[in-house]
Amino acid sequence: MDLNQSMRLLSSWIAQIGGLGLDLLWRFIHLVVSLWYIVSGIIEAVESYAISLGLNKKYSSINIEKLRCLAVVVDIEEARDVSKVIELLQWLRTIGVKQVGLFDSQGLLKKSKDMILGTVPGSVLSEEIGEKNSSPDQNPLALEFISSSDNKEAVMKAANILLQDYLKSSRPENDKGENFFTETHLNEALRVVGENVHAPDLLLVYGPIRSHLGFPAWRLRYTEIVHMGSLNYMRYGSLLKAIHKFTGVHQNYGT
Amino acid sequence: MNTQEEVGEFTQIFNALMSLMRKFIFKVLCAGPIPNHVSFIMDGNRRFAKKHNLTGLDAGHRAGFISVTYVLQYCKEIGIPYVTLYAFGVDNFKRQPEEVECVMDLMLEKVEYTINQAVSGNLKGVRVFFVGDLTSLNERLRVAAQRLMEVTEENKDLMVVVCVAYSTSHEIVHAVRESCVRKCDGTGDDPVVLQVSDVEECMYTSVVPDPDLVIRTGGGDRLSNFMTWQTSRSLLHSTATLWPELGLWHLVWAILKFQRMQDYLEKKKKLD
Repeated sequence: MDLNQSMRLLSSWIAQIGGLGLDLLWRFIHLVVSLWYIVSGIIEAVESYAISLGLNKKYSSINIEKLRCLAVVVDIEEARDVSKVIELLQWLRTIGVKQVGLFDSQGLLKKSKDMILGTVPGSVLSEEIGEKNSSPDQNPLALEFISSSDNKEAVMKAANILLQDYLKSSRPENDKGENFFTETHLNEALRVVGENVHAPDLLLVYGPIRSHLGFPAWRLRYTEIVHMGSLNYMRYGSLLKAIHKFTGVHQNYGT
Repeated sequence: MNTQEEVGEFTQIFNALMSLMRKFIFKVLCAGPIPNHVSFIMDGNRRFAKKHNLTGLDAGHRAGFISVTYVLQYCKEIGIPYVTLYAFGVDNFKRQPEEVECVMDLMLEKVEYTINQAVSGNLKGVRVFFVGDLTSLNERLRVAAQRLMEVTEENKDLMVVVCVAYSTSHEIVHAVRESCVRKCDGTGDDPVVLQVSDVEECMYTSVVPDPDLVIRTGGGDRLSNFMTWQTSRSLLHSTATLWPELGLWHLVWAILKFQRMQDYLEKKKKLD
C-alpha cells in the first residue's frame, strides 16, 4: 500500500470516527432535551393538580364570555378513544364553554357523533341550535364535528360553485374575475355547501405535537393555537389554565 | 501595539472563535434530520423599539432586518434549502398611514441594499422571491423587488421567500380566481371542474414546498393568517422572544424540537 492510499484510508477512518462522534453528541443532546421535557412535564402536572384543587386563586374565575367558540383538534390515534373526548366535553361544559368544534383529520369523531351527543348531557349539534323552539337545557353545549373534508375539499366545492356561476355569467373579454371571486363570494359559497365559516377563538390541540393537523384553513386566521399534550393524559387544571390564558390575550389583528 | 489595535485584534479572534463554535454546533445538529422548509412569523419589532426606547416609526423594523440577516446566515450554514419570512401582511395596511409608508420605505431601502450585495457577489447562493399581492405595493418597491428576484435567479443554495402584502385568505381567493379564469380560458370539451392541484398551482407560495417548521416570535400563539393552508403537517413553534432578539440558540432549540417529532411528522405525511 503506497503513501497516498494510506493517507486516503486514514482520512476515511478519521471521517468515520468524526461522524460517529458527532452522532453520539447529537444523541446525548437529545437525551438532555428529553430529560428537560420530563422535568417540565412533572412541574406542569403538579401545577395542574394545584389548579384543579383550587389552590391557585388566579384561576378561580374565568371570563368565559370572551370565548365564544372553542375548537378541539384531536390526533387520529387518540380520537379512537371516544370516552376521553366525552370526558373533555364534560369538563368544558363545567367551565361554561358554550360552543365546541371537534376536529380529527379522518372524521372518526364525526362517525361517533351520535354516541357523543347521547352521552354528553345538554349537548346538541350546533346547526340545530335555534331550529328547536324550546330546548330542555337552558345552557346547551353546541357541538360541531369537523374533519379534513371540511378543509381543502370544501373550498374546492365552493370554488366550483363560483366557477359554474362565472361560466354562466356574461363577462367581458379579458375579464380577470376580480368582481366575481372575492372573500365575500367564497364565504357565501362555503355556506351554500354547508360549511361553517366562523373562526374559533381558541384551538386546543390534543396530540404529540403543536400542529393544527389540517383544521379548515379558511377559519384559522387569528385563532389562538395551544398544545395540550396527549388526550390520554389530559388534566382539568391544564384546560383551565389554557382557557384563562386565552382570556388575557389582546390581539391587534395585524393593525 | 496600542489599545485600539489590541481591541480590534481581540475582536477578530473572538469572532473567529464564535464562528468556529457555531459551525461545530451546526455540524452536531446536522447529525439528525433538518427541516426542508422553515417559515418565520417575525413578530415583535414594535415592542422591541418600545422596550429599548428607540425613536422613529421604523426603528424596531430596522432592528428586525438585522435579525433577518443573521437568521438567514444560520439557515444557510445549517443547510436549510427554503426559508419563508412573513414580512408584511394584508392586514398590516390598516396601520397608521405614516407607519405603513415608513415600513415601505425601509423595505425599499433594504431591497436596494440587497440588490447591491447580490450584484457585488456577496449574496453567496441566496435566491430571493417576493410573494403576495405585489400590485398593492408602490411602483418603486415593486420594481426593486422584481429586480432583486432577477439578479438572484441563478442562486441555488438557499431560497428565501419574502411574503409581502400576503395573507392566507387573500392567497386562497387569488388562487381560486386565477385557477377559475385559467379553466375558463382552456380549450376542449372536458367538463370544467377545479381540483385542489389547480388551485394550489396558483397560490403565491407555490414556489416552495409546505413548511416543516413554523417559528413565531413575540409570544403569540396564532398563525395570523399566514400559510394556514400549507401548515397541516407543520410543527408550530412559538417563542416569547421578540423578533429582533431571536438568536442562534432559539433556532437550534426549534430544530431540536423538530428532530424529536420527526418520526411522527413523517408518519403524518405518508398518511396524506
